[in-house]
Amino acid sequence: MSNEQAEFADFFQASWEPCLRAVVAVVGSPQLAEDQVAEAFAKAWASWRKVRRHPAPKAWVVRTALNTGASWWRRTSREMPLADHDLTAPGDLGDGLDASLLTVLRRLPARQREVIALRIFLDLDTDTIARQLGIEAGTVRMHLSRGVTAMRRELTTTNNHGG
Amino acid sequence: MNTYDGMSDTDVLSAVRDSLSGIPLAGPPDVEAIMARGRARRHRRLIPGVTGTAAVAAGAALAVTALVPASHQASPVASHPAGRQPAVRLAAWTVTKLADGNISVTIRELKDPAGLQSTLRADGVPASVTFASQQNPECRAYPGGTPSQAPQPLQATALLKRVFPKPYNGLPPLPHPGGARMVPATGRPAAPPSPSPDATVIVIDPSALPGNAGVQLGASGDGDAILTPRVVYVSPQCTGS
Repeated sequence: MSNEQAEFADFFQASWEPCLRAVVAVVGSPQLAEDQVAEAFAKAWASWRKVRRHPAPKAWVVRTALNTGASWWRRTSREMPLADHDLTAPGDLGDGLDASLLTVLRRLPARQREVIALRIFLDLDTDTIARQLGIEAGTVRMHLSRGVTAMRRELTTTNNHGG
Repeated sequence: MNTYDGMSDTDVLSAVRDSLSGIPLAGPPDVEAIMARGRARRHRRLIPGVTGTAAVAAGAALAVTALVPASHQASPVASHPAGRQPAVRLAAWTVTKLADGNISVTIRELKDPAGLQSTLRADGVPASVTFASQQNPECRAYPGGTPSQAPQPLQATALLKRVFPKPYNGLPPLPHPGGARMVPATGRPAAPPSPSPDATVIVIDPSALPGNAGVQLGASGDGDAILTPRVVYVSPQCTGS
């Protein structure tokens, strides 16, 4: 294995899980996310000389995975319209989780989920998230603030209703 | 007392992270498979002038260890059965039974035509699938089952529109990773190509097939390979029944 291959392999092993969790947070379905992330890593290797110099290569993978998913979905949606096609019920994701949190996350707009995922799983700062998503830093802060506020409000409501 | 009352933004985000971190996920697939898949993509970029058939062959050779086609999925978002394979194995093609009885074929790489053919036949579609430049010579075109060659671009017949309702109604021509290109018989892209055109989708309506007819999916043509579905007579040598 060449140095370049070894470098990519190290990156892949270290980045697979955080990238996958970030994509799961956005698309909701672990299975769909795995497909998209695998494709994104293949694209990363195809462009490794560029990606390895990227300021946030894991963010590149996540963004590529999400773009890939959008592309796939544009085609799939012509076949069979489904509401909430990309979202998996929290109960399907495993036991022992805070289902209310996941339910709330599912209700957020996709952009807010993206911002939150990049923040919590890739630990990116606001400016880096902005560059990755091609939006202003202030817009990132707005999405983050709105997302957190919505989650806190929903969680409060859910817990109050749930006793 | 509410658990979330008074939580800071950081606390809320931490709670989300912790919750999502508890989701059981598959481990990473074989990095060699990922790299082979990436090499195939890179190789295709480097040889834009190569003929479709050659590109297909090159891509297949480079990706030989990368992908094993999936069999059926209950739906595009169906959960995988227990013990499912790593996600990377889903990439070559997927056959999906749709709620309306149609069958969707998503082809991402021109690989394992025999497997795709078997899968379609198992779903009750008499099928012949070839991804080589040579179509199965045993297949005889069904009347009205082949896009007319003139005038260009290819024009779909009424039968083709019934049997293949989606591609013939406006799926854009999608460059295929293996170099193939789906050509809708209407010849009019209804939408611009997507930024990451990674797959070709063909929808088959089995109920529209005459009793003595099946489908043929083949990649052929000079220059870019052309992936063209058509209707053919069933026969043991062509469609297996």
